[in-house]
Amino acid sequence: MSKAQFTDRLQRGIHVGGMEKTERRGGNSHKAQRAAEHGLFAEPPVQRLSELLGRIKSVIDGTFEDTCWVVAEIAEVRMNQRGHCYLALVEKQGDETIAQIRATIWSYAYRSLAAQFERATGEVLRQGMKVLVLAEVTFHTVHGLSLNIRDLDPSYTMGEMARRKRETIERLTREGLIDLNKGLDLPLVPQRIAVVSSPTAAGYGDFTNHLRNNPYGYGFSFRLFSAVMQGPEAEHSIGAALGKVAARAGIYDLVVLVRGGGSQVDLNCFDSYSLAAEVARFPLPVITGIGHDRDETVVDMVAHTRCKTPTDVAQFIISGVRDFEERLLDGQRRVGRSAERALREQRHRLTAALKDFRHHAMQSLGAVRRRLDAAQLRLTAAPGAALLRKTDESRSLQKDIEKAVKETVLRQGTRLEKLEQAVRHLDPVNVLRRGYSITSLGGRPLVSAEGIKKGTVVRTVLYRGWITSTVEESGDGQA
Amino acid sequence: MGKRETGYKEAIEEIERIVAELEAENIDVDVIAEKVKRATHLITVCKNKLKGAEEQVQKALEELNQQDRGDDEPF
Repeated sequence: MSKAQFTDRLQRGIHVGGMEKTERRGGNSHKAQRAAEHGLFAEPPVQRLSELLGRIKSVIDGTFEDTCWVVAEIAEVRMNQRGHCYLALVEKQGDETIAQIRATIWSYAYRSLAAQFERATGEVLRQGMKVLVLAEVTFHTVHGLSLNIRDLDPSYTMGEMARRKRETIERLTREGLIDLNKGLDLPLVPQRIAVVSSPTAAGYGDFTNHLRNNPYGYGFSFRLFSAVMQGPEAEHSIGAALGKVAARAGIYDLVVLVRGGGSQVDLNCFDSYSLAAEVARFPLPVITGIGHDRDETVVDMVAHTRCKTPTDVAQFIISGVRDFEERLLDGQRRVGRSAERALREQRHRLTAALKDFRHHAMQSLGAVRRRLDAAQLRLTAAPGAALLRKTDESRSLQKDIEKAVKETVLRQGTRLEKLEQAVRHLDPVNVLRRGYSITSLGGRPLVSAEGIKKGTVVRTVLYRGWITSTVEESGDGQA
Repeated sequence: MGKRETGYKEAIEEIERIVAELEAENIDVDVIAEKVKRATHLITVCKNKLKGAEEQVQKALEELNQQDRGDDEPF
């Protein structure tokens, strides 16, 4: 019997064990045929489904007595109303699923396992997560084959998450994205802020309240771009919100990514490559305040500045504005100080110049006065005294004094000239020029012939030149 | 960055330039008053912007929001 025939018969409701006889039987009613067949074959190799499945169950129960640790990936996870957790576990090779089974964590076990798992990993069980489970193989005649999960090893998942995170970081580094956003300059005055957050999150309220009630009275303007901040939709939702901000990047100074107040788990989206890459490439500085206790997420790492909580982000922004105001106040102080100093210096210089001028003026005046006094003294004793007395009270005293001084000097000058003339006449040169000469003996000029014997050699100086002569004779008469 | 940013940047740069000039040894006494006046003006403008930006910018944002109202709430 071919496979096709077999299938055909199955479809017509004929048991395979029904032998060749039942073949090619024409158009009679099926019901009648089946009744006939049952009557005909007393020992049908037929069993009830429950029997078959019961047998399968006993085989499975016998073979898989013990629980065993199994590594698998969660393909699907859902909770029912009674608190049972239903999963689909798979193993993949690339994109291809090479094994799949249903699994259950009964509510009683789930409560404690889930709490323990979340505490350790900071995550809830979710699609795509790799888990190490202690499984019991069960077969139920209605529900079929499944794994009953008795325990869950969070350290395996943590290791897997860490490995994935490491790979993401390595990829971002390789692609030059890891420090890209950090390369942007923070705005000089961060006053226009795009907020990506969930409007209902406590963290968002903390952030806006802190900014609004800043102690310096700075004005801030912010606009919310709402997004789901945790869970499976978060990655897409945050990405979409960022896209909206990016479209109007020009009117904002920076973007903040804040959440908090919600659950501390299921923040996996902040480790995702695509969200991190989007943050890294963002045209404005991105400040995060994701508000979790775990290690830095990948989004934190690529952000321009990572703050721990939304309140910290607000404080960071306020401090930025404060820095600018400090610069202003510093400028203000220095303008005041230096202007004051410059003016003081100018005043000082002026005072000094004035003092200097006064000193010099006094000195000059003093000298003039002293000269005048001296002149006056001399003049009162001189023949000009009368003149002086006459003009004593007149305003032209100085003029008169000058005149008197001039006259005195002039007179003195005339006297000097005469004296000089006299002195000039006394100069021997002038005498020699007229034909006189000087005869000397042994360097002393001779004024007498007395004692000068024949043969004495004398020296005579003329107006021009000199001669020596030997005395022939001498006499004592007048020349 | 937008227009306002440039305003702050230019203002603080001019203020700091004036300060440097005033702190130089041989500033002309005639220009001191003028420089001080200019610096004080700039400082006042900046301070007012720091404190009052909300109303100004909020207004600008509201105008913008009216042009394209998204699902997100301006406030």
